[in-house]
Amino acid sequence: MTIKLKKQVIEILIVLKKKKTEQLASLFAKELSIDYIVAMAAINDLIDHDLGGFREEEINQISLNEEGRNYLENGLPENQLLKLMRESNVKEINMEELLVKSKLDNQIFYVGLSNMRKNCWITQSQATGENKIFLIAEEFPETDVEKFIKTFKANPTRVYSKLSKNEQVQFNLLNRRKLFTKEKKTQRYIFLTNKGKSIKISNIEELEQVSKITSEMLSSGTWKKYNLKPFDVTKPGPLLKAGKTHPLINLINKIREVFISMGFTEIRGPIVESAFFNFDALFQPQDHPARELQDTFYLNNPKVARLPDRDRVLAVKATHENGGDSGSLGWRYKWDENTAKQTVLRTHTTSTTMRRLAQFYKDNDKTPIKVFCIDRVFRNENLDKSHLAEFTQIEGIVIDENVNLSNLIGLLSEFYRKIGFKKIVTRPGFFPYTEPSMEVAVYYDKLGEWLEMGGSGIFRPEVTSPWGIKDPTRVLAWGQGLERIAMPYYGRKDIRDLYINPIKWLRQQPY
Amino acid sequence: MKIDRLEKLVGRKLEIDELEYDLQWIGLDLEDINREEQILKVEYNPNRPDYSSPEGIARTLKGYYETELGAPTFDLQKSEIVVTVDPSVKKVRPYIVCGIVRNIDLDEEEVATLMSIQEHLHWAVGRDRKKVAIGVHDLDKVKPPYRYTAVKPDSISFIPLHGDGYAMNLEEILLLHEKGIEYAKILEGKEVYPIIFDSVGEVLSFPPIINGILTTVTDETKNLFLDLTGTDLNAVNLALNILSTTLSDMGAKIETVEVKYEGGENLITPNLDLNEWEIEIDYINSYLGLNLTKAEIIKCFQKVRLDAKESKKQGYLDVYIPAFRGDIMHSVDLTEEVAIGYGYFNIPKSIREGCIGMYHPIQTFSNKTRTIMIGAGYLEVLNFILTSSEKLYDFMRQEYEESDLIQIANPVSKEYNTTRTSLLPNLLETIRFNRSEEKPIRIFEVGDVVLLSKEEETGAKREIHLSAASYHEDADFTEIRSTLDFVMMALGKFNEYEIKAENNPSYLNGRYGEIYIKNVKIGEIGEIHPEVLLNFKLEFPVAALELNLQKIM
Repeated sequence: MTIKLKKQVIEILIVLKKKKTEQLASLFAKELSIDYIVAMAAINDLIDHDLGGFREEEINQISLNEEGRNYLENGLPENQLLKLMRESNVKEINMEELLVKSKLDNQIFYVGLSNMRKNCWITQSQATGENKIFLIAEEFPETDVEKFIKTFKANPTRVYSKLSKNEQVQFNLLNRRKLFTKEKKTQRYIFLTNKGKSIKISNIEELEQVSKITSEMLSSGTWKKYNLKPFDVTKPGPLLKAGKTHPLINLINKIREVFISMGFTEIRGPIVESAFFNFDALFQPQDHPARELQDTFYLNNPKVARLPDRDRVLAVKATHENGGDSGSLGWRYKWDENTAKQTVLRTHTTSTTMRRLAQFYKDNDKTPIKVFCIDRVFRNENLDKSHLAEFTQIEGIVIDENVNLSNLIGLLSEFYRKIGFKKIVTRPGFFPYTEPSMEVAVYYDKLGEWLEMGGSGIFRPEVTSPWGIKDPTRVLAWGQGLERIAMPYYGRKDIRDLYINPIKWLRQQPY
Repeated sequence: MKIDRLEKLVGRKLEIDELEYDLQWIGLDLEDINREEQILKVEYNPNRPDYSSPEGIARTLKGYYETELGAPTFDLQKSEIVVTVDPSVKKVRPYIVCGIVRNIDLDEEEVATLMSIQEHLHWAVGRDRKKVAIGVHDLDKVKPPYRYTAVKPDSISFIPLHGDGYAMNLEEILLLHEKGIEYAKILEGKEVYPIIFDSVGEVLSFPPIINGILTTVTDETKNLFLDLTGTDLNAVNLALNILSTTLSDMGAKIETVEVKYEGGENLITPNLDLNEWEIEIDYINSYLGLNLTKAEIIKCFQKVRLDAKESKKQGYLDVYIPAFRGDIMHSVDLTEEVAIGYGYFNIPKSIREGCIGMYHPIQTFSNKTRTIMIGAGYLEVLNFILTSSEKLYDFMRQEYEESDLIQIANPVSKEYNTTRTSLLPNLLETIRFNRSEEKPIRIFEVGDVVLLSKEEETGAKREIHLSAASYHEDADFTEIRSTLDFVMMALGKFNEYEIKAENNPSYLNGRYGEIYIKNVKIGEIGEIHPEVLLNFKLEFPVAALELNLQKIM
């Protein structure tokens, strides 16, 4: 069987054949100007065909530490002292004086002095009463340690086992002076097996490996002879910066679909709204706390809204003052038209629902009518982890003859079941414009918790009668904040997260 | 609300878990449960001010547990005490009703209840004392008959409660006294102020501000005089009825007062007579989707502490409503009472089919645009419509007049003082928020802007816009122009639109154009001006576009 090898491996094989002896891998790579990794990969290919191999050898690498490098630069302390004495041309000197002149650290100075004595360069005497140093040698040939330390100029790291006997002695001397760092390292030597040494290059076929298939390879058919470089398929790819819809939009669209499937038609109404449609038409008395500044955004511009047809305004006025023809006692106070003309940022989508009731009257519509709205509303709130000044409300209504509370419970169960909540509970509640009213909570399997959803009920006759909707025609209604579903659904703890767009989250959040 | 106190009132052993479950069915939400100390905190129900005491809640619970059915009764005696009302109060605070409470022996908790019930009534029924203010006095410190009148602010002085112990005239109280300062707004612009004297001219109260020190209630107090003044006779009566029935349930004896309106009616208050209401049986059943018999409905009413009996009118019931219930103004309110008495959990589910649903065309078009933008590789973001004029105009190097803005009269902060007229500033801010993310950042938003419009009923209109922005080292006009071409092609408008080279301070000269379809401007496109980039603290160029989708639909 012929052996197939990559072009580069063949080239390396040729070089190795010429070398005859084993080679230090790192040096070999340097020599060939290739990466160490490439060289080792080539050896692995050779090993696969039993042509080559490598062996590992543990070595002690030695190099000068900071102090050692300092001496390499400026000379060992003994040499520094000697130089000092010879330059100032003195044969004798007071030790203290030399110490000061040398600017050496005390300890190092004494190490230097002791080595000068060992080298038989000086002698010391206190005969005159002071501690004096006498230069006694005539010549000062380079010492062996000096020679040794200087070898590190060319080779910052050397291998201990490669030192000569004498050098090892010098190393041990200097090592005692703590001038070296030692490091254990593994070196790889590469070699050819007998098969590798004897194989004829002409018997080896070139294997071509590529990282991708080109159009040229396909058309020429040469793809057959290429070997596709394997990838590490377990590793994640780089981040794809692609487009995606916002999680809240996904949820809104899901809920829109639920409404549509239940026969509801989507409506849309003004954001800047009159107090008339936002409050008065909903039978909220004009002194109701919800209408106050701390709950509602009022506008300075535009400041007043036009009211609908006069007779409808008077009908709403009458429900407030004496119940009008709704069968109610009314709130029994004097209703003020200017208060109703104030402009607000709508506090709920129910103002849009009211406009639908007004349309119902105007167009003399036929029942049943089912409409829904998922849209932005505004409340004068300070932002914190559970409050926003602007959020999204979901609302649905049914206008039909003889619809009742039982129908509403059925409707709510079906609606929340379709969204994904199988269990629902409806309890007595209070909302100013519905009676009977119900609070709705659903069970969320994923958290094992009951979640408060929102309010529901049958619109009060005081709300519907000005628009010609009278018993037995009634209006079922329910509504809630979208965020109450979105937060547990997307596992957010802070409601503000939903509107600050952290791109990382937007990219990672599943649909 | 302590469980043991409630047990005493209800007359039955109660478990905290049982209560947690049961209270929801009479329309009460729990705010907090302290199992260790056996205390329940009930959320205030603005519709039922009579629930602002354990006594009030206990009445309904007794019905729920069927230990006591029908309208609660209260012992009411007549006293000889008379209050005269001078017509001068019509100009400032026209109504007063009063009551006498004898033999009070309140423990610490009951005193606390009395304080909290007053607070609730002041807020919920009284609209922060404007509509109703309550005065509670030591009856034995003053001499009847009493007189409710109105006087010139500086004509009368007395020592107010919680003051420094000095006599002050009414003007001084409004200027200097803590409560005077707090409630002065209620009397703003009035020439005369209301006041209650006793027969020797001692001041009981300066409603709705503060009582005199003379009638301070202490541990020694045995008998109380209640005064409730206000602007709405129904509201003052309701507050008096709730207060006196609660005191009655605490074991005190309630007596009436004769309130003589000079030149008008004489009232005997409190009036705890039941109110009568006629209601059709079929109406109730039809409303609730039930099929209850007369007897069953009567039982439901009794469980929620109302009374009912067969009416002379065929198919009708006469319902009797206790005087502490202020929330019944229509037959639907009684219908809900039946539902609560029957138990919401017993009402069956039923489905009413019918109708064909339809999406709103604007939403459909918005979603279509979103799909196209995602195809172009843009990530969708969502921002608030609320914004600041600084971001909208100053940061964008645009000139504006205050009168061009939607102006919020009471903004939460300067950051949200108007509504957006374009989406792009929000996108630049979103980029700033994410600027350490890997580039390129390509984002878009489809959303509402709000524009002033005299033609609209409310003076403003909303429009759906699309804005897209690309942020990276090489973002330029060519890139965003390609995006626009792609979008327009996908919307089927490729052959209809043109771009006219213009100048705009938000964009770089020579790199900005306005987008037109049939001579109607539908949008803008270009490279953002470096000063704008710096205003938003951005480090790379931005190429952006904004389209008014409603003009393309």
